[in-house]
Amino acid sequence: MIKIENLEKVYKTEEIETTALNGINMHVKTGEFVSIMGPSGCGKSTLLNVMGLLDKPESGSYKFLETELLTMNDKQRSNFRKQNMGFVFQNFNLIDELTVFENIELPLIYNKVPATERKRLVNEIIERMNIVNRSGHFPQQLSGGQQQRVAVARALVTKPKLVLADEPTGNLDSSHGNEVMELLCELNEQGTTIVMVTHSSHDASFSNRIINLKDGHVISEKINKSRTEELI
Amino acid sequence: MFKLNFKIALRNIWKNKTSSLINISGLAIGLAACLMLLLYVSYEWNFDKQSKDDANTYQVMMNHRGVDGQITETGQSTSNVIAPLFKQKYSWVKTSARLSWAAPYLVSANHIGFKKTGAFADPGILDIFNYTFIYGDERTALNAPNSVIITESTARLFFGTTDVLNKSIRFQNALDLKITGVIRDLPANMSRSFDYLMPWSFYESRFDWAKKPNWQNYSFTTLLKIDPQTNVDQINSSIKDLYLQNGLKLKVEPYLFRYSKLHLYGNFVNGISTGGSITQLRLFMGLAIGILLIACINFMNMATAKSEKRAKEVGIKKTIGATRSSLISQFLMESLVLTLLAAVFAVVLIEMCLPFFNHLLGIELGINYSGASIWLGLLAVVLVTGLIAGSYPAFYLSSFNPVQIFRKRSQSKGILSVSLRQVLVVGQFSFAVILIIATTVIYQQIQFIKNRPVGYQINNLVEMEQDGELYAKFELLRSKLLESGAVSSVLQSSTTITRELSSIARCAWPGSSEDDKLRNFNTIATTYGFVKTTGIKLLYGRDFSPKFASDTNGILISHSAMKVMNMKNPIGQVVFHDGDKAVIVGVFEDFILGSPFSTEKPLIIHFNKEWSGIVTMRLNPGHPAAENIAAIEKIVKQINPAYPVNVTFVDELYAKKLTEQRRLGILSNLFGGLAIFISCLGLFGLASYSAEQRTKEIGVRKVLGASVSSLMRLLSFSFLKMVGIAIIISIPVANYIMSNWLKSFEFHTSVNWVVILLAAAGTIGIALFTVSFQAYKAAKANPVEALKYE
Repeated sequence: MIKIENLEKVYKTEEIETTALNGINMHVKTGEFVSIMGPSGCGKSTLLNVMGLLDKPESGSYKFLETELLTMNDKQRSNFRKQNMGFVFQNFNLIDELTVFENIELPLIYNKVPATERKRLVNEIIERMNIVNRSGHFPQQLSGGQQQRVAVARALVTKPKLVLADEPTGNLDSSHGNEVMELLCELNEQGTTIVMVTHSSHDASFSNRIINLKDGHVISEKINKSRTEELI
Repeated sequence: MFKLNFKIALRNIWKNKTSSLINISGLAIGLAACLMLLLYVSYEWNFDKQSKDDANTYQVMMNHRGVDGQITETGQSTSNVIAPLFKQKYSWVKTSARLSWAAPYLVSANHIGFKKTGAFADPGILDIFNYTFIYGDERTALNAPNSVIITESTARLFFGTTDVLNKSIRFQNALDLKITGVIRDLPANMSRSFDYLMPWSFYESRFDWAKKPNWQNYSFTTLLKIDPQTNVDQINSSIKDLYLQNGLKLKVEPYLFRYSKLHLYGNFVNGISTGGSITQLRLFMGLAIGILLIACINFMNMATAKSEKRAKEVGIKKTIGATRSSLISQFLMESLVLTLLAAVFAVVLIEMCLPFFNHLLGIELGINYSGASIWLGLLAVVLVTGLIAGSYPAFYLSSFNPVQIFRKRSQSKGILSVSLRQVLVVGQFSFAVILIIATTVIYQQIQFIKNRPVGYQINNLVEMEQDGELYAKFELLRSKLLESGAVSSVLQSSTTITRELSSIARCAWPGSSEDDKLRNFNTIATTYGFVKTTGIKLLYGRDFSPKFASDTNGILISHSAMKVMNMKNPIGQVVFHDGDKAVIVGVFEDFILGSPFSTEKPLIIHFNKEWSGIVTMRLNPGHPAAENIAAIEKIVKQINPAYPVNVTFVDELYAKKLTEQRRLGILSNLFGGLAIFISCLGLFGLASYSAEQRTKEIGVRKVLGASVSSLMRLLSFSFLKMVGIAIIISIPVANYIMSNWLKSFEFHTSVNWVVILLAAAGTIGIALFTVSFQAYKAAKANPVEALKYE
């Protein structure tokens, strides 16, 4: 599904230049659940941002289902993003002024889905995420685990081909963290491709494949046999 | 999308109550002030535009040339021959009408009498002005000599109803006039206003001087409705020599001036309109826009200060697919919702303040809710305000890049945004400080003029109109008044001593030239007791006295008149005055007869028993004024029972001369205060956000041992710096503007530096108070709380 070649990204400030990505090559197959791990500053979040079209690399190639994305302009990128990708963040990033229902509905609005259809889709996902009795609440009124479930619901409501998760359990205690990981696994089993950045090897153990980064390079790749066999 | 944006807007307003309150109340006050000023501007703008055909309604003006051929005076009054002559002679005149100045006359009906303002006019006036007739025929109402048109409220006053056609009212207790028309009350912004209008033919039958054709009595207004095809400039050059063509060797030139322009462009220099109250109107427009801008700046500042909070929302929305334009429209929507809310409060505020405002300014403003124009105006102001206030935040906030926002928050504060915010605050305060300085200078100038010596003893001096029996029985009145002990002296005169009403030319004196005949002297006719009653200061000679029989031919002249006549020993000199020989019996020091803002014109006071109209009395200081007035009223009522008695204090009349300046003072005071208030509101909001943003820094500093006072200094300094810069900018600007304003007065004070320093100190003080409140709260907070946060 994804093919990345020689990706390079450099951050410049007035005094220093930091190379965040230094010739990354990787691929993700459709239906895969890939974890990206590595120490702080290794470039894993940058890689995720590039994959999510939030950031532009200096050079390299990024093909998504045979389409080259890096040559697109801002508008095309934005369109491609909202039609194909969903995001889950460490700090949930829900909009405080909107209710759970409205937060989940928001991407559908930007995708110009008609109102009745939106209502059906949101209700469907709310049910699936087991947050039916929370749909009228505001994010501040929910626990961290519930907030992250809303965030996952929002990422999935457009039925994206790819879900990008940036340390989805980072702000959660272990039991809520496990809940979210199980949720992601379930989604993956239903066919959604997931790329997740994480610090936690426990979380990574839920995925099919683990990519290790250091100083902007891929230093190792490990296939999680138990999960992969299940997949086959 | 619209619904959702609307929801976010409302929830944001609700969630950030303090900032919403500051925004809404600031905007509401700004909008209210702006709308109120705009109401005033539209009131003034529509002054005298009630003619049926405004564009073609002209007034005949008179340029009077003086000694050296220069136009010394542009008069609005013409002789009584002009209107009929023009109508007869020129084909471009469609309608012409003479109109007298309105004056109070006694009218009575149903055994009640009031002094109400009446005017006389040719029937043509009904074709020129658009009076709304409730009863009567507009075409014929002024045709019969003994007819009268009355206003609705005059009808109600006398009859309790407006259905009074063909009833009659009694004029000056002498003659019955038949009511041939009842019209709606005239709008307040109509300068030729009256309670009842009588036909010119009646005027002529009552007053011989109105009837007798006289080219040289410039006492009447001539209004014309002209053919739209005519070229007014051509007409003006063709009628310029009208007087010469008719064999009159006078240096007067008639010309046409657009009637509705007289109110705003009524100042003439050398025969050319040089403006007038339009200057003041422009000033108020500027004030209105300035105040609204200050409120808009508050909004922008608050919105960009909040940007850190909003950045997250922008980031998320952009990540899940929002375009920049959808975000811009969202933020604009927010500011429009807020402005709309503020507008509702503004209308409530205006309704609450209008009576007070009207009272202060002595005008009649109101909101006509059924009119489309007020709603369109309101909508336009709301839209413009909302867009101006919302545009900068919308473009600024929507430009955030999601990756930067999510990575680390601290970068979202660009150097440009901070400095722009500072520029806006500096601009706000500069404007406010200029207004404060302007206010104090205007106030000082008013005081300066007020403190100019009047030239007569103004306290305890009262006057009343000499009506009905008071002419014939003046001596009886005088003796009874003196007898009662209520007054210490009494005089009759042709005019009040608080206004320049009569002037005379063609005087001659020993050594005067032919050109000197063109000189104008103010003139007052009186009998005995002028100096004693008014308390003017005699320089040479004496007051008129019954002991000298020749005094009936005497005159008193002012010091400046003596200088004009170039006399060394004025007493006993003979002056040809009003066609008669008159002897100078005394010279007095100039007193303020007309405007206190300009030099006194030469004045001749002459003895004339026949020409009178005002009774002036000096109250006995031994009794309370109210008792004296009551005694006077009783005596007058006995002698002249048909007329109501109306005794006025001369110092009140004098105070009216300062009305316009006082009004300017009040307005700049009011709106200067508002400008400062709204600016401080904004500063308060900014300070609270800055304190909030720096919570962590303050916590760390406190843990490391910073004292409350050092933290307060830290937090307040950046704001006071901006106010300081504003003061430095505004002082020279204010000084320049106000020095120029002062120069427009003949007598003026100068800009006082102590006042400017006080204004600056006051502004700093208010700003310090505003900011330190927030700074203190932040500095006193428990550092543990601050550090736990995040």
